[in-house]
Amino acid sequence: MSDDTDRLADRILDARAELAPLLEEARLARLARSEGPGTDGGAVCAWNHFENIPTFFNWNNRPR
Amino acid sequence: MEKGRAVCWNGRVAGVGGMRGLASVPGYVVMQPTTLCNLDCVYCYLPLRAADRRMPVAVAEAVAADANVWAAAGRFSVVWHGGEPLAAGREHLTALMAPFAAGVEQHVQTNATLVDDAWCEFFAARGVRVSVSVDGPEDLNGQRVSRAGRPAYDRIERGIGALRRHGLPYAALCVVSDPRPGLAARLYAYFLELGCDTLGVNIEEREGVNERANGHDAAAVRAFWAELAAAWRADPRIHLRELEWSLRYLGAVLDGTDGGLLPRTLDPIPTIGYDGAVVLLSPELAGFHDPVYGDFASGNVLTSPLSALLGSASTGWVPEFLDGIEACRASCPYFGFCGGGHAANRYFEHGRFDGTETEHCRNSKINLLEGVLDHVRRH
Repeated sequence: MSDDTDRLADRILDARAELAPLLEEARLARLARSEGPGTDGGAVCAWNHFENIPTFFNWNNRPR
Repeated sequence: MEKGRAVCWNGRVAGVGGMRGLASVPGYVVMQPTTLCNLDCVYCYLPLRAADRRMPVAVAEAVAADANVWAAAGRFSVVWHGGEPLAAGREHLTALMAPFAAGVEQHVQTNATLVDDAWCEFFAARGVRVSVSVDGPEDLNGQRVSRAGRPAYDRIERGIGALRRHGLPYAALCVVSDPRPGLAARLYAYFLELGCDTLGVNIEEREGVNERANGHDAAAVRAFWAELAAAWRADPRIHLRELEWSLRYLGAVLDGTDGGLLPRTLDPIPTIGYDGAVVLLSPELAGFHDPVYGDFASGNVLTSPLSALLGSASTGWVPEFLDGIEACRASCPYFGFCGGGHAANRYFEHGRFDGTETEHCRNSKINLLEGVLDHVRRH
């Protein structure tokens, strides 16, 4: 299984040049939405510490 | 946050940490103020949605006894779910919310059909955060119907119009039953126009009383997510849950910090049924009974404090589920992204909790990540 995990990681690392601009666009979009790190919104997600979103919109076992 | 992956000689991490056991304090509780829903959506998993069984105030008081303590120590939320929570009425919901301290965030997941000026004033006065269930434009909402089988879209649209008129921000949850190319861009454009600030996209799941098969062609699902990534990228005003988590993981792999992404322990996310019964980890299990697993409940807040029930939660089906998490960790290359299959998906797809990959895993985790990778390769 670790080989499979490495293969997934390798594919992600191989896409670094294509992923980097997308990740930067996402960072800027979060800032525009006032979700950036250190944003003093007081509504920091319990699960993820820089998401100013409803706490129940987390990734695992979220209500439908 | 633990740094859960030991670094090997070649710089690669060995195994993924996190998600070991249940946290003793949840981040939120899901409350069922009534089992009743005024709609009868085709894919709904709730077994008692035609009956109006209301939560007594004593249940809310029992939950609040712990929730108020947890909220004093950190962010904590109550999610009023259902049934349709607004079907409980403002007077009853007011009584149920009253025991909770001001520091407890109040959320409501609603079909919006009952939202009017009076409800908007209710939300504004109490700082209630609203999330609306809507599946896209009218022709894609055909599965959200009344008890008489009539489309509910005009009422959903009217309710959302009231939220907008009152300047209330809202999130949206969208169920997609047939993920395929050509759909995602149209959906995203709709939600941009709708004006929601957060969007979650749920590929329909086989669970509860919804026994419809949820297997899809992997290429079609990947193409759906790739198209959604492209649409979001063109105008990323909305916090799109699935994209945010994909990008968070992909960025962490590039930075070598992916071992720290998953929480140290699983959030138990207690669902409090209308009668005070507590079901952990998956709201979809509430109200069901199995010859082997019983009613899936870990107890009842009317007879034991919620904190005590969480402290003794490793009984019943939960240990089997935790074995399933370990099986995912050992067998699935996507575990560091996903954190393990959800309890309800395992049970309703496999009939037990210690299986691993589900159709939900493929639709909403594996092919999501692969779809985002497909997008960047083509862009």
